[in-house]
Amino acid sequence: MNHAISLAGAAIGFGIALGGGAIGAAIGDGLVGNATIAGVSRQPEAQGRLQVIMFLVIGLVEAMYFINLALGFYLVTQANAVTG
Amino acid sequence: MIFLAEGPPGTHPLTPVCGDQYVNLLVIKFYYCALTLDTLVSSAIAIAVTLGLAFFIASRLQPGVPSKLQMIFEAVVSYVRGLVSETVAEDATFIIPIAATIGLYILVANWLDFFPLGFSSLIKPANSDLNQTFAMAIVVFLIVQWYSVKVLGLRGYLRRFTKPFGMNWGFRIGYIPFNIIEEIVKPITLSLRLFGNIFAGLLMVYLLTLIPQAYAWTLPISSAAVAIWKLFDVFFVGTIQAFIFMLLTIIYFGQAREGLEEELHEPHAGQAQRVATATNPD
Repeated sequence: MNHAISLAGAAIGFGIALGGGAIGAAIGDGLVGNATIAGVSRQPEAQGRLQVIMFLVIGLVEAMYFINLALGFYLVTQANAVTG
Repeated sequence: MIFLAEGPPGTHPLTPVCGDQYVNLLVIKFYYCALTLDTLVSSAIAIAVTLGLAFFIASRLQPGVPSKLQMIFEAVVSYVRGLVSETVAEDATFIIPIAATIGLYILVANWLDFFPLGFSSLIKPANSDLNQTFAMAIVVFLIVQWYSVKVLGLRGYLRRFTKPFGMNWGFRIGYIPFNIIEEIVKPITLSLRLFGNIFAGLLMVYLLTLIPQAYAWTLPISSAAVAIWKLFDVFFVGTIQAFIFMLLTIIYFGQAREGLEEELHEPHAGQAQRVATATNPD
């Protein structure tokens, strides 16, 4: 019973963390794309350089989400292993 | 199905060397007397491939007509050199081999994930273990601290923790805890970023291989999905993460020099700024 409750709590927490992280990553990606489009339309010859920076920043932004995912999965498996 | 299946991620079995004592660090357990053998083996493979590649290129250097591989490596090294001299300093040449080695090693270790890894439980993506990435981040952190003390002196190093240099001393003392946290968080985010990306990619592959075990007819779709996902994950995410790790290493070295320019004309720095904002309101 205790095991089921703690596992359910871990799963719900994991889901909330995933949802919040996805919202944050999506907003960040949108801001990056917005800034890149604005930069390219203002200065079309800078497109090559701006795209490199864009992918770099997308990597940084989405890293937070992947940290969320990996640590959440790790903690859920730990909760499963400890109490089960 | 057997060829597809990779072991469930997140399980790195411990091989005890002198017992399995651990220090409980609230969230994680720190086993100081045991090894994760799979990470050792897979990082040893990555190190061997990296060294082999580097020595192969170094053995057939041609000054006049460079081969294609040599041209790529020369472009990479000169890019790193430009980055270091721009971000850190002209004379900080010892950072170039550190940053380039870290970047190349992580790139090779990430790209080795492209091969199917299901045939042995000892071979996994080297960076999918937090111990591996945290070890690299700790090394970077320690070298950065040493470099900061060497460049700024002990007094300048401690002064760096009172960071907004233009403010008065009340503000600056209040900022000390934040600056200490900022410094400690650097290796943690550096290691967790790489680990999280590679681990999430591995998790996705594992989940895709679980589908045909429940519905056998999805095997071709699932295989294609694994191949496409690995193409994206290895060649896009892996490359970007290796580059980001290298770039952040160089940026941390650049931040370790903060306060060097202000140190030279310290008493007037705050005043000059205030005068400038007073006379130039726009």
